[in-house]
Amino acid sequence: MDKKKIMICDDDEGIIDVLEMILDEVGHTVISVNDSLKVLAAIDREQPDLLILDLWMPRLSGQEVLKHLRKHSAHHQLKVIVISASRDGEQIANDAGANQFIAKPFDLNNILDSVNALLN
Amino acid sequence: MTMALDASISGIIITDNTQQDNPIIYCNKAFEKITGYSRKEIIGHNCRFLQAQDRSQKERSILSRCIAEGVECRVEIRNYKKNGDLFWNELYMSPVKNANGEVTHFIGVQNDVTARKNAEHDLRQQKLMMEKRIEERTNELRESEAFLSSIIETVREGLLVLDPNFNVLSANNHFLRTFKVSKEETVGRQLYDLGNHQWDIPKLRDLLVKILPTNNPVVDFEVEHDFPHIGKKLMLLNAYRVEFEGQYKDQILLAIEDITERREVEIRKDDFLSIASHELRTPLTTIKGYVQLLDRAMPQNASEKFLSTFGKVSVYVERLNSLISELLDVSRIQSGNMELHMARFDFDNMITEAIEGMRTTVPGHQIILSGQTGAKVVADESHIAQVVSNLLSNAIKYAPDSEKIEVNIANVSDYVKVSVKDFGLGMSAEDRKKVFERFYRGVEIQKKFPGMGIGLYICDQIIKRHNGTLWVESEIGKGSIFSFTLPKAGKETNG
Repeated sequence: MDKKKIMICDDDEGIIDVLEMILDEVGHTVISVNDSLKVLAAIDREQPDLLILDLWMPRLSGQEVLKHLRKHSAHHQLKVIVISASRDGEQIANDAGANQFIAKPFDLNNILDSVNALLN
Repeated sequence: MTMALDASISGIIITDNTQQDNPIIYCNKAFEKITGYSRKEIIGHNCRFLQAQDRSQKERSILSRCIAEGVECRVEIRNYKKNGDLFWNELYMSPVKNANGEVTHFIGVQNDVTARKNAEHDLRQQKLMMEKRIEERTNELRESEAFLSSIIETVREGLLVLDPNFNVLSANNHFLRTFKVSKEETVGRQLYDLGNHQWDIPKLRDLLVKILPTNNPVVDFEVEHDFPHIGKKLMLLNAYRVEFEGQYKDQILLAIEDITERREVEIRKDDFLSIASHELRTPLTTIKGYVQLLDRAMPQNASEKFLSTFGKVSVYVERLNSLISELLDVSRIQSGNMELHMARFDFDNMITEAIEGMRTTVPGHQIILSGQTGAKVVADESHIAQVVSNLLSNAIKYAPDSEKIEVNIANVSDYVKVSVKDFGLGMSAEDRKKVFERFYRGVEIQKKFPGMGIGLYICDQIIKRHNGTLWVESEIGKGSIFSFTLPKAGKETNG
């Protein structure tokens, strides 16, 4: 598999850690951002191939981040997987223009399958 | 002359005032008949024999006085027949005077007025009884009015009584307090004119003008309105038009429950549970992730015991996750906020997927599917799938020593029917009755299996919301069959 650059934006360090470990294990480069206010700048700087985005975050919600990406940014084509433990997460993710939604708690195999599907 | 007197139906006697003790010197036939005495027993006696032992009547003194004064009189006096029977004698007594103006005789005319007297007596009794009863009834009425009004003033709900033209006839205290108005500015006014037309609400007009005339009574009619001074209120209205004949006919009772705060609390509770479940799931996600990472890094030579212990961790992580979901579901069902996303889907496909999902989780069990419906059903697919999975996992959980589970699907009229049969513990009649109740757990089940007793409650509620039914047939030691029906043509949700 090609080595890709994947950005994770989640306010929970544990989830970032788990995702970093599994994505790193299969050979991707992982950049993590735990403050959603900084993610847009990070995307500009790092030019990731894929964003894994949480919804409920303090300061700026994943929904806002995604809407902003889709509307105003040069990255409106960026592949985005939304992960969320919220009940209406799937609806919000689809409405905001996510490529994929995965409910928390997720299965790591689901994450890997979705990442592969979107990157290839 | 004697013949004429004998023909009279009134008893007539003549007494001789010139002789000692006023003896009777004449009586007619009617007198004999009335008294029961014969002529020979009468003539020569004083009239008082008719009074027997009843000598203290006040009429007697009237008679004595009239005799002494030589004037006429009329009395009603108790007399007694020969056989002792009482009769009421209406006695008219008049003196006969000679040329010198001296009283020589008295003529007594008697009528037996017992029947009239009795009737009068009965009438008086009845009148008394009636008066007593009226007084009692009036008291009862007064008491029940006081009781009713104390109820009306005690309920924590605004109550208005309207006449057919929507003029306010009365308003209880709670109404006045809730809407911060006085009795004077409410009673006697038109409903829509109240408080500067603040009650002129289109939905309320709809209720009173369009709905109530044909749907009496109207229950739980929700109206939201922004009142100028007290702010936005969410109200549940019950309206009832009096239909029975009488002074209250066509009056309208309007009960107004202010549910603004209750709804806010419900929303806050839902929000709280959403946040709580989200926050609980976040570390759970991390735990699950680490477990899976460890699984991937499992050493080749790990012992059986290590592997099985490790496997159990995932099972309990899943259980914790489904408990969180169930709690959220229960809360939503109770606040009536379980949203159904109704859409058309392939029923057989959904069943197959649910069974496949279960097979991968518990490969040790054999799930046999029979039948097919070919139906495209309009329902909330994820909720129905949740019911099927729940029934399957129960079948597995409560039949630990049996590996076979039979699932049958079929078309029944305009429903699809699903039955999940296990060959496990089964349950008693007592348990069968209560198994769909919230937090109910079978006595035996409680000892052996963990759980909160909300899975089947949620299933039942989901199926009910779809206008289907969920039921169980079971026998202890043989197993259980849980079945549900689901209408194929549910109403699709727009958008």
